Amino acid sequence: MITRPRTTQWLVIMLAAVLTAAPVLYAADQQQLVIYHWWTAGGERQAMQVIFDAFTKKNPSTKIVDNPVAGGGGITLKTVLLGMLAAKIPPDTFQSLSGAELKQYVDGNYVAPVDDVWKAQNLDANYPAVIGKMTTFKGQHYGIPMNAHRANWLFYNTKLFNELKLAPPTTVDEMIAAAKRIKSSKPNVAPIAIGTREKWPAVFLFDVTLLSTGGPDVYEKFYTGQLNVKTAPEVRAALQKFKDLIPYLYQFHGAKTWSDIAGPMAEGQMGMMVIGDFAAGLLVQAGYKEGVDWDAAGFPKKPQEVFLMIVDTFVRPTGAKHPEATTAWLTNLTDPKVQGEFNIVKGSIAIHKAVPDTTYPDKLHQEASRTFKSKRIVPSSIHGVLAPPAFLSDWQDILTRFLYSPDINRALDEISSAMELDKVSDSSGWYWAK
Amino acid sequence: MAYTRAHALLFLAPLLLIVLVMYGMMAWTVAVSLDDWVGMAPVWKFHGLENFRTLLGGALRERLFTSLRNNLIWLVVFIAPTTALGLFLAYGLDLVGRAERVLRPLFLYPIALSFVVSGTLWAWMYDPDAGVINNLFRTLGLGRWAQPWIADPHLATFCLVGAAVWQYTGFAMTLYLAAIRDMPREIFEAARVDGATDVQTFRHVVIPNVGHATMIVVAMLILVTLKVFDLVWVMTFGGPGISTEVLPFFMFVATFRQQFVGIGAAVSVLILILAVAVVVPYAWWSMRRLAA
Repeated sequence: MITRPRTTQWLVIMLAAVLTAAPVLYAADQQQLVIYHWWTAGGERQAMQVIFDAFTKKNPSTKIVDNPVAGGGGITLKTVLLGMLAAKIPPDTFQSLSGAELKQYVDGNYVAPVDDVWKAQNLDANYPAVIGKMTTFKGQHYGIPMNAHRANWLFYNTKLFNELKLAPPTTVDEMIAAAKRIKSSKPNVAPIAIGTREKWPAVFLFDVTLLSTGGPDVYEKFYTGQLNVKTAPEVRAALQKFKDLIPYLYQFHGAKTWSDIAGPMAEGQMGMMVIGDFAAGLLVQAGYKEGVDWDAAGFPKKPQEVFLMIVDTFVRPTGAKHPEATTAWLTNLTDPKVQGEFNIVKGSIAIHKAVPDTTYPDKLHQEASRTFKSKRIVPSSIHGVLAPPAFLSDWQDILTRFLYSPDINRALDEISSAMELDKVSDSSGWYWAK
Repeated sequence: MAYTRAHALLFLAPLLLIVLVMYGMMAWTVAVSLDDWVGMAPVWKFHGLENFRTLLGGALRERLFTSLRNNLIWLVVFIAPTTALGLFLAYGLDLVGRAERVLRPLFLYPIALSFVVSGTLWAWMYDPDAGVINNLFRTLGLGRWAQPWIADPHLATFCLVGAAVWQYTGFAMTLYLAAIRDMPREIFEAARVDGATDVQTFRHVVIPNVGHATMIVVAMLILVTLKVFDLVWVMTFGGPGISTEVLPFFMFVATFRQQFVGIGAAVSVLILILAVAVVVPYAWWSMRRLAA
């Protein structure tokens, strides 16, 4: 055995003791905020940093323990959270979507009301009423939303539309007419761009079809299970129109994701695509210019233009270890200045009414902000905002199958059976509660 | 120092713990499969075989049988080519001499890749427009062979199997190479003295002597086909429609995306029954053959 001088031995022991104790002492001394969210992609990560910076400035003694979990719409995060919540080790706050998605956590008693923050920040006046509705269950608010994405945009190739002297369509019928023109004059261009490898973009296209043929009331009723699918003429009509679109879709859509086809659309290999505002960020990043290579218009405009909305929300988990940090975090989210700065980076828009439309540097988001304040806001079906997530999963299977074998009667049977199995009507009662 | 029974027990204790946890979890899954657990929080509402009824004869019947059919396609289409290619490559490597050192790692690399990586790569290759496969056909003047691949509901599962064959051939090859190296060299020399060609040696000497490796390879590959998930998730997400869904994918979606936890557990139980029903008779049969 090698003999060491006594002092060295003592030094090693002391060092070990300090190293072991330091994190514990540090944690005990400092207030923490343990947070889980799914904003991991390029721009999202930086957007989150904007909130972190604002939070740290207001709460310098609270350390943010950040746990980002990648996966669009929080698919993976939900799986992680499920385990943590069931084991009763909740984080101090986590991300969810408003509406049916949030309701799952409320039903499991995993989140506590946030009425204190809601009232203190006067959100009833500062947020649109529909946002309040989408966070209210059993008469109490359960989430603090901070940004909205618009799902009903029609992106189109500017050069192609100028060359063929096409105006951006305002209804699905006009969309089909434009697609026909493109197909006859440019046989190599796919008139309507869509990528269904991840399935959900098919829902975006169906949603605008339903809004165009049935209007927002039918839309809300359909996704909350208030229509008898098998007999309601509105659903059949929407599916028929959806079927009419199929010959004009990019034929290999099953092999592509939405981000795969945004580039070809801007290049002019495809004509137009229905997708959320997040496509704008991707296009700009890839070097395609708004107004030069591509443009976007709210869609449809008739019978009524609406803002089809996806809302990101943070919650207060039941039994969170640092309740003051949670409250501080939620309060920080409602700050109009923070919302404005965050949303410029995130590519969505603020929901606080005090944030001016001119906050955003680009045309698309300025228009989104204007529409948000002036037009009817309808919760999007996507990501389980309006319909329960269980149905959304079945729904995207039904729609992508329909795109390959468009049998309307079979689709109606499938929808009706899925709505029953997924208890769409029962679990949507919250939306119609007064 | 002499080892006693107590030592043996001591060293086996960790394994015992793992086995206990595993069987405990299985029992828990079976219990969940008999409950009407929907949603995030546990709901222990016993309702017998209702979940299985929904799956086998109710609203989820078509979905279950689509998954089952696809698992069977995997079983039939995946195992034979992977095993055959693995054996063929192993014998080839045994023949090439020193070049083996370069070639063996090349064939082994695919298995070292994560399925998420290889799935993404293969999805690019299968791309009907920009993918390398169709473009290769077009360059060679075989444009009529170009296919929509994963965008075609009838072809997509076979495309996934293709990717898996590529990834698992190296695995089969390794086991076969070990088996061939295990054979006494005298047999090969005797065959050569008798004037057997390489093909004849392969047919009459190698194949009859690697039965035990075949048993292991096939049994492992059966399990792979029953639990295939990652490639489906990455390449097609079960689509187009539900045409490429397999049982584990269905189980995951039902449990974690739809939160039909009871139904998901019931699918798990069906997978377990299938695994036992397929693997146990196969192992029994091949062991008896080997003993004979």
